[in-house]
Amino acid sequence: MFQRSLRVFVAALLLGLTAARFAAAADAPAAAPAAASAPADGLDSRIQDVKGDVIRLNRDLLVLEEELLFPANTQVALFVSMDVGKLFELDSVQVKLDDKVVTTYLYTPAEVKALHRGGVQRVYIGNLKAGEHTLVAFFTGGGPHERDYKRGATLKFDKGTDPKYIELQIKDSTGKLQPEFDVKVW
Amino acid sequence: MPLRTTFRNAARLAGAALAASAIAAGPAVAADPVNSHPLKDPHYGDVLFHFYQEHYFTSITRLMVSQHFKRVDHHVDEAELLRGGMLLSYGLHREAGDIFAGLIEKGAEPPVRDRAWFFLAKIRYQRGFLAAAEDALGRIENHLPPELENERVLLKASLLMARADYAAAAAVLKGVTGKTGAGPYARYNLGVALIKNGDIAGGFAFLDALGTAATPAVVVGQENPATEEFRSLRDQANVALGFTALQYNNPSAARIYLERVRLDGMHSNKALLGFGWAAAALKQPDQALAPWTELAQRDPSDSAVLEARIAVPYAYAELKAFGPALDGYNEAIAAFERERVGLDESIAAIRAGKLVDGLLERNPGEEMGWFWNIRELPDMPHVGHLAPVLAQHQFQEAFKNLRDLRFLSKNLAQWQDNIGVFSDMLANRRQAFAERLPDIRKRAGAGASGLGALKQQADALATDVARVEADADAAALADARQRDMLARLARARATLATMGDTPEADAARARYRLVSGALTWQLAQEFAQRLWDAKKSLQTIRAALADAVRSDAALAQAQHDEPLRFDAFAARIAELDPRIKALIPRVAALGQEQQQAVQELAVAELERQKERLAAYTVQARFAVAQLYDHAAQKETGHAPKP
Repeated sequence: MFQRSLRVFVAALLLGLTAARFAAAADAPAAAPAAASAPADGLDSRIQDVKGDVIRLNRDLLVLEEELLFPANTQVALFVSMDVGKLFELDSVQVKLDDKVVTTYLYTPAEVKALHRGGVQRVYIGNLKAGEHTLVAFFTGGGPHERDYKRGATLKFDKGTDPKYIELQIKDSTGKLQPEFDVKVW
Repeated sequence: MPLRTTFRNAARLAGAALAASAIAAGPAVAADPVNSHPLKDPHYGDVLFHFYQEHYFTSITRLMVSQHFKRVDHHVDEAELLRGGMLLSYGLHREAGDIFAGLIEKGAEPPVRDRAWFFLAKIRYQRGFLAAAEDALGRIENHLPPELENERVLLKASLLMARADYAAAAAVLKGVTGKTGAGPYARYNLGVALIKNGDIAGGFAFLDALGTAATPAVVVGQENPATEEFRSLRDQANVALGFTALQYNNPSAARIYLERVRLDGMHSNKALLGFGWAAAALKQPDQALAPWTELAQRDPSDSAVLEARIAVPYAYAELKAFGPALDGYNEAIAAFERERVGLDESIAAIRAGKLVDGLLERNPGEEMGWFWNIRELPDMPHVGHLAPVLAQHQFQEAFKNLRDLRFLSKNLAQWQDNIGVFSDMLANRRQAFAERLPDIRKRAGAGASGLGALKQQADALATDVARVEADADAAALADARQRDMLARLARARATLATMGDTPEADAARARYRLVSGALTWQLAQEFAQRLWDAKKSLQTIRAALADAVRSDAALAQAQHDEPLRFDAFAARIAELDPRIKALIPRVAALGQEQQQAVQELAVAELERQKERLAAYTVQARFAVAQLYDHAAQKETGHAPKP
C-alpha cells in the first residue's frame, strides 16, 4: 500500500517541482509556455500605459525646463569622457568658467566605471553670453605608480548664438605612460 | 541570523529560478548598446553614462529629450534600439514593439536590425504569440553579438519546446552545446529536451555531465556570482536526475544523483527528501531517517520540510518503532497547527499592509529598474513564511510594478512643485521685462548721453575731421602740450607786437620765430599720423554707435517678441500642469490596486501553504489512526491487515 502511495507521492512531487520555481527534471523548459501564454492582465496593462504617459510627460517637462533655464543661444554644456583611462583613476573634477568655479564633482566608483565603458557625463549645464570665455578644468585622482595626480586643462573659446558643447577628455598617452587631459569643442 | 540565512537561500532560489528561465519568462533585458565608438554626439554618451549605471529612468528621459533637440542624430538607430530596450524593460511592450518594427521597416543597419528582430521575438514570446515569435527569430541574420546569439538559441529551443517539438529543440541545443563556452543552461535544457523526447539515456548523459561538472575557477578579488549560479544549476541537474530516476523506479541511481547536491544549497531540501524516499523505496527506512530528520528541523515554510515531519514517523513505523512514530505524528500535527496559526497571523499582517510597507521601507532604491531585487525582509510576525512568497518571479515582478508606481508618484509630486516654480519664474521675467525694458530703452534714447545726441556728436566730429584734413589744419590735432605751447606763442606774439625795435626785442622775436617754426614743423610732421588716428577713432565711435543702435533694435525686437515667448511658455506650462495633475491620482489609484494585487499574491501563496498543511495534517491523523488500529489489533491478538 505504501509503495503505491510512494509512487503517487513521487509523481506528485515531480509534478510539483516542474510547476513550481524549481524547474526540475523534465520540466524546466515546460515552465516557458506557462509564462509565455500568460494572458495580459488588465491592471498590468494599465500600469504600462501610465508608465508610458509619465515617461513622455517627463520628456516634455525636461524639454520645457531646458528651454526655460538654458536657452539655446546662451547654453553651454560641459562633458567629461574617459578613453581607456588605465593610467588615471579619476576622483574629482573642478571646472572654472571665466575664473569662477561652476562645478566641483566627486565621482563614485559606479560613475567611473560608466565612463570607462564609454559613457560621457554632462557635468555642467549653464548659460554664457556671446563672446570670448576661458575654461579651466582640474582633474584630481591617482596617476601612474599610485601617486596623487592633479592636472589642469585650459581652453579659450568663443560663444556664439548656438549652444556650446565642450568635452573634457581624459586619455592615456601610451608613449609617455602618462594620462593626458584634452578639451574638445563640439 | 537564521532569518537572514533563510532569506538568502530564498533569494538565491529566486535568482536561480529566474536565471533558469531567463529566456522563457525573465525580464526583457536590453543587452549592451550597439558599439557606439567613436562617439559622435556627446549627448548620446550622456545617455550611456546613465544607462551603464542602471539609472534607466534618467537615461530614457534624457535620451528622449536629446532626440527632441536632435542632439543624437549621429546615433539615430542605436538610440532608438536602446530606447526600445529600456521601454521593454519597463514592460511597455507595445511601444517597444513599435520602435523595433520601425527600425526594421526603415532598413536600419544589419546589427541594429538583428537586435530589433531579436527583441521583437522576445516580446512576442512573452505575450504568447509563439508563431510570430518564431517568425521574428527566423529573420535574424548573423549579426547578433555572442551573448545575444546564445539567448537566441535558447529562445528558439524554448519556442520549439513550447509546441512540444522536443526533437527539434534538442537539435537546436545540440548545435550550441557543441560549441566552446556553451552555457550550462543550454546543456541543462538539452538534457531536459532529450528526456522529453523519449531519449532518456541521452538526456541523462547531458544532465549527468552537468551534474558532475567542476565549478568554474573563481577570480580572486572579484565578485563571482556566476560561480554560485553554476553550483545551483548543477544541484538542480542532480535533483532533476534523482527525481527522474525515482520516477523510473531506479532508487539506487537516484541516491547517487541526490548525494551530489550540496547540503546548504537552495536545492538541498528537495534532495534530502528525495534521498529519503529513495532509501524507503530500497526498503532501508533506517537510511531514510538521517536525511529526513535533518530536513524536519529546517524552516517549515518549505513544503519539503513539512513532508519530512511526517516522513520521519513514517520511517519509524517502517522500522516497527511505533512509539516514536506515534510521538512523531502527534508532534507533526501540533507543529502543523502552530504553523497554521502563524500563517493566519501572517495573512492578517499582509492584508494590513505591513508586508508592502516593510518591503518598501527596507528596500529603498533610486529609480525604477528591472534589475532591482528585494534584499531585506520586512519586520513582521512569522517572517519566515514570506521567503517562498518573495522568491516567486510573479511576486517580484508585481512588487517591482508597485515600487515603480511609488517612484512615479514621487516623480510627479516633484514636477508638481517644479512646474509651480517655472510659473513663478516666468511671471518674474515677464514683470521684469515689462518694467525694466521700456525704462532702459527710454534712457538709452534720451538726454545728452542718449543715442540721438551721441549720433549728432559723432556727425559733428566727422565734419571737423573732414575740415582738418581739407585745410591740413595740423594745429587742430595738436596734443595738450602743443596746445599749451601754441597758446604761449600767441601770448608772446602779442607781447612782441607792443615792444619797440630794441635789440632785446629783436632777439626775442628771433627766438619766437625759431620756436614757432619748430612747433609748426613738429605739428606738420605728426599731422598724417594724427589724422589717421582721428579717422580710426571716428570709425570706432561709429562702430560702437552702430552696436548700440543694433542693441536698441534687438531690445525693441525683444520688447515685441519676449512677451510672445512668455505666452508660449505659459501655454506649455498650462498644458503640462493638468497632465501632471491628471496623472497623480491615476498613479495613486493604480498604486493602491497594485498593492492589493501584490498582497493577494502573497496571501494566495500562504493559503497554498495552509492547504498543504491541512493535507499533511490529514495524512498525519490518518497515520495516527492506523497506528492506534495496529496497537488495538495487537492487544486483541489480531494481526493487522496489510
